[in-house]
Amino acid sequence: MAARVDRNERRGLSGALNVSRRQFLRGVGAAIALPAFESLRPLSVVAAEPAGAEAACVAVTATGAPLRSAFVFFPNGAIPGAWWPKEEGSDFELSRTLAPLESNRQFVQVLGGLNHQNAEPGPDGAGDHARGGGTFLTGVRLKKSATDIRAGVSIDQELARRVGQLTRLPSLELTCDSVHRSGACDSGYACAYQFNMSWSSPTTPMTPEANPRLAFERLFGAGAPGERHANMLRRRQEQRSVLDFVRGEARSMQKRLSPRDGDKLDQYLTGIREIENRIASAERFGDVKDPAVETPVGIPSNYGEYVELTYDILLLAFQSDSTRIATLLLAHDGSNRPFEDIGIFEGHHDLTHHQNRAEWIQKVSEIDLWYVRQFSKFLDKLQKTQDVDGQSLLHNSMIVYGGGNADANRHTHSNLPILLAGGGGGTLAGGRYVTHGSKPVSNLFLSLADRMGVTDLDHFGDSTGRIENI
Amino acid sequence: MRALIASFALISWPGVALRAGDVEGGAAFRQDVQPILSEFCYNCHGDGQATAKVAFDRFASERELLSDRSLWWRVLKQLRAGLMPPQGEPRPTAEQLKHLEDWIKTAVFESNPRNLDPGRVTVRRLNRIEYRNTIRDLLGVNFDTDSEFPADDTGHGFDNIGDVLSLSPLLLEKYLAAAKSIIGQAVPIISGVPPEETIEGKKFRRVTQTGEQKDSDKGERYLSYYEPAVLSARYTAPHAGQYQVGVHVSAHEKFVDGVFDYNKCRLTFTVDGEALLDREFSRQDGKSFHFELDREWPAGEHELVFELTPLTPDEKQTRSLSLRIVSTTVRGPLAKEHWVRPKNYERFFSHEVPAGSDERRQYAREILEPFAIKAFRRPVEGETVERLVALAESIYTAPGQTFEAGVARAMTAVLASPRFLFREEQAELNSSAGHPYIDQYALASRLSYFFWSSMPDAELFRLAGEQKLRDNLTAQVQRLQADPRSKELTRHFIGQWLQARDIDSVNINAFAVMSRDQKPDPEMDRRRSRFRELRSKPFEALTAEEKAEVDEARKAFSSGVQRFKQYELNGELRRAMRQETELLFEYIVREDRSLLEMIDSDYTFLNERLAKHYGISDVQGGDMRRVQLLPGSPRGGVLTQGTVLAITSNPDRTSPVKRGLFILDNLLGSPPAPPPPDIPTLEDSAKKITGRTPTLREALELHRSDALCSSCHNRMDPLGLALENFNALGIFRETQSDVPIDVSGTLLTGESFRDVRELKRILVTERRLDFYRCLTEKLLTYALGRGLDYYDVATVDAIVDRLERENGRPSVLLSSIIESAPFQKRRAAAAAERLTPPAAED
Repeated sequence: MAARVDRNERRGLSGALNVSRRQFLRGVGAAIALPAFESLRPLSVVAAEPAGAEAACVAVTATGAPLRSAFVFFPNGAIPGAWWPKEEGSDFELSRTLAPLESNRQFVQVLGGLNHQNAEPGPDGAGDHARGGGTFLTGVRLKKSATDIRAGVSIDQELARRVGQLTRLPSLELTCDSVHRSGACDSGYACAYQFNMSWSSPTTPMTPEANPRLAFERLFGAGAPGERHANMLRRRQEQRSVLDFVRGEARSMQKRLSPRDGDKLDQYLTGIREIENRIASAERFGDVKDPAVETPVGIPSNYGEYVELTYDILLLAFQSDSTRIATLLLAHDGSNRPFEDIGIFEGHHDLTHHQNRAEWIQKVSEIDLWYVRQFSKFLDKLQKTQDVDGQSLLHNSMIVYGGGNADANRHTHSNLPILLAGGGGGTLAGGRYVTHGSKPVSNLFLSLADRMGVTDLDHFGDSTGRIENI
Repeated sequence: MRALIASFALISWPGVALRAGDVEGGAAFRQDVQPILSEFCYNCHGDGQATAKVAFDRFASERELLSDRSLWWRVLKQLRAGLMPPQGEPRPTAEQLKHLEDWIKTAVFESNPRNLDPGRVTVRRLNRIEYRNTIRDLLGVNFDTDSEFPADDTGHGFDNIGDVLSLSPLLLEKYLAAAKSIIGQAVPIISGVPPEETIEGKKFRRVTQTGEQKDSDKGERYLSYYEPAVLSARYTAPHAGQYQVGVHVSAHEKFVDGVFDYNKCRLTFTVDGEALLDREFSRQDGKSFHFELDREWPAGEHELVFELTPLTPDEKQTRSLSLRIVSTTVRGPLAKEHWVRPKNYERFFSHEVPAGSDERRQYAREILEPFAIKAFRRPVEGETVERLVALAESIYTAPGQTFEAGVARAMTAVLASPRFLFREEQAELNSSAGHPYIDQYALASRLSYFFWSSMPDAELFRLAGEQKLRDNLTAQVQRLQADPRSKELTRHFIGQWLQARDIDSVNINAFAVMSRDQKPDPEMDRRRSRFRELRSKPFEALTAEEKAEVDEARKAFSSGVQRFKQYELNGELRRAMRQETELLFEYIVREDRSLLEMIDSDYTFLNERLAKHYGISDVQGGDMRRVQLLPGSPRGGVLTQGTVLAITSNPDRTSPVKRGLFILDNLLGSPPAPPPPDIPTLEDSAKKITGRTPTLREALELHRSDALCSSCHNRMDPLGLALENFNALGIFRETQSDVPIDVSGTLLTGESFRDVRELKRILVTERRLDFYRCLTEKLLTYALGRGLDYYDVATVDAIVDRLERENGRPSVLLSSIIESAPFQKRRAAAAAERLTPPAAED
């Protein structure tokens, strides 16, 4: 009990939210009791980075604080009429769907005129939801096949390759979509395209974690507060002896198998390498401070709580500098979830094919609004959390919030609904609605990569250059 | 004109110099096939036409035409489904069709009945289900893979397809953690522990205020935050000494959106009248609590008492807060002389751990070698065993570590090995020419994973080791099928083929569905839209009146919801629905009845709850049993079961299109192409009716009149509309919003029906072969863990022929699949290079 009181006091002192105020803001049950610990790496550690001056420019802000990138995907596009603001520039009025962002508007840009041409049917025909999802962070044309999966490396993974060595986890993949249906997915496309937004190779999706408890344990270790550090150390030591054995097994097995089977073993060996890298970087950085909060129990049955809890974990990951790259798939494109909490009993996807009925359009835009509201709560919390350099976490982040269909009724993929939130460490000029002509989303990714200090990417997906003026 | 073109085509193959025997099958093509194509197909697919990008006369050479197997496979499927030539066009005679089919199979597919190409299966990773079952059979541990592992991707409708079962770094990390946790649960790492006794929550009896003990309430012990309660149980200590008491309590609540519950209660735990625990609980989010308490006890009986006291009598009680007394565990006496062997010790360690280091290594080997063989489901070379022993030794020789801990770590490594996680298969060494048989261990695994979704048992292992499994195949198949574990085949095959598994999570809103079937209520609609309008604003921004309005609307809805609550798909009803579908299949298989009864039967499986839902009387009690249906009942067969009807519906209403698609896809095996881009909306079509709202049937009719939509909707809609007598919850209805429902229709293949009963008749008579073929393809896909290809046509056809000859008996289907080349063999290495299409290898 004593520890709990302490924490609350500290929370009060550091100017963060106290319990009742926080619960009031949430409106629903507390997700995790977020700790008010400051960023867990003191600035001096950042400055004394062993990797040298060159590396110091990667994924840091001008003050040397960590710079983070997150990509949040929401399903089924957005009703364009309710999404887009009326006038451009910095003096614009937020649209109905985007209204909840008002409190953080100086950190939000509404980006117009961005397209995913490779999500258009082209020669591939139906399957706009599979393409909307699978193309979103890859910018490539997906191979239309139920079993022969081929996408592209996603932008978060391109960034993680260059930035990942700076943190304990190169990247974090989360989702609030835990149940997969039986049967086939969208029109002959493998389900993997819809349920994964992050790809470390064209054939290897980065399976997102759907269970908040497991995501939390991955960040901070298993067990009660205070025991996690020891548990993590023990686990690492045990993993090492096991990894040595299984690497040998995988290699000898690979020799016995055909090349196609060998690919599966390659995935296995890649996994081993990644875990070893993780162990090495954990040792390099020392261990993360135990956030001293209870581990979440599992997947909340209420979707709103589930989404909020998952955003909280993303926030904790950034706050503790466990990673600087994250993706969150709120729901797969084509998701048919009803929103009974707001009186909508029909499925989301079915409603998007609204046949121009005013009532259906209204309902879809309410669902769009619901998603934006959750996102806005997340931004609020980022804004209220202080980073090592005294700025807010929101100031030191770049968060893309978007969907892979523009108008889901007609399955269009140009002028996609995309927001860019966060200050990018002072490099992003927020508070504006800017249309960028008609450009690939991939161009935006290159511009973000520049800001992350990843400058060796000349090209990404279907990029034709970079986006100025963000 | 047509005849002229035909004869012209006979003598001149555009762009090809004709030489007899030029291409194998070429002569037969020119003589028997080309005339048929020319007569019936060239109108759209030749002579300059290339509808759907298919033109039979546009190939650079005959060789090229004949080697385009995927094209001919499509042709075969279209012909068999009766889709080509299209409706209204002249059709080939049955004899001509047979000609065409035979030619495709022999000349194009080059099927050699004596050495059928078995195809190749990509090495399969255990999916979540197989992993859980394998761990259970290997170690006796129940590991909840559903919550610990991410969902497996599916391909071709199943989650056991080697190609799509990928292994991400995250999953590997989870496998490592799972291995550790499983071994931690199964394998003791010390040789002695204090005795332990767990007293389940259920053993605690409620004590009323008069001190009388009630034991009438069975089941879990939930204590409400709002009511005082006392629970008591007794424990008899065998000896005096030091004891540890563990208390396990969990908090529960019913979620209510936007409303909190600030109630608190106090829970005390006393032993023999002395309070050991005294704690306040506020709302706790479903958390679990464990407390460990030390006691010095004399021998004899002790009384353990939980007492809950509400602390906030005036707070609003909104979320039904409760604490559950899960269990208490008494450990002791702690003194070493009372210690016992840990649970499971003898399962892994047969005798005392020897002292000498050679003896210890030898003992480790004796334990680890058979364990690795079992876990890998194949023989293991000595080198691997030695590495395991070395790993164990490196642990148990470290200071403070036990021998058992070393062995456990090596076992953890076994479970993390790719040889455990993947199903490695090898070919029989002395297999004769042609495609080789898989070896007997691989066969044992194919059988056990097919029937049980789990590893082979001791008998399969023994037979495989003695090279006798193939000789005893029939008997073994019968044994596997008779084993209770064969429920897994039903559960996961039926669960995915008919999507019955999805009933657990499908989202159907009883209120929305049932109110749709009632007379329209504009007042309620107005209220609802007002509610949504208010809810779209932040709650804090609402005025007091608006807040009151929200509250009132919520109350009105909840009374409406209450009215339809009995129809809700709760856990009990969902379970009954899933069992109905599973039991039908199990029964047909067990009794070896015709598989056609899957579609049309005069009985079904019900319990009271489900019977009531269906409006069938005289079924009492919770047990599912076979129920004979009254003559004329629309029920019977999967089409009128709750699973299929709900899964093919939207959350608030039926979807005839989804239902039609389901039948085409899963019963007739001829799914339509996915919708093209730029489809006109239903509403665009419906605009042609002015002055009133058209019915769903009318709107679909207009939609079908659009040529772009008609080719597929002509096939889907009549099938789906025939099921309109069943709403999205599977409840029978004759009207919708007071309008009678018309369920008659005509299939694209010409058969007319008045209602679903006649449709079922048609499916099991005229379309019988389509169903046999569809089911065979699905089950073969599931059995092999790969999608089917053109070279499987011969296998499938042979099975369909047998089914037709032998009255659709399940035993025929199962044994033919198990005896088939793709199940028994693997593609010869040389053939693998030649036959794999280049696209798959790039």
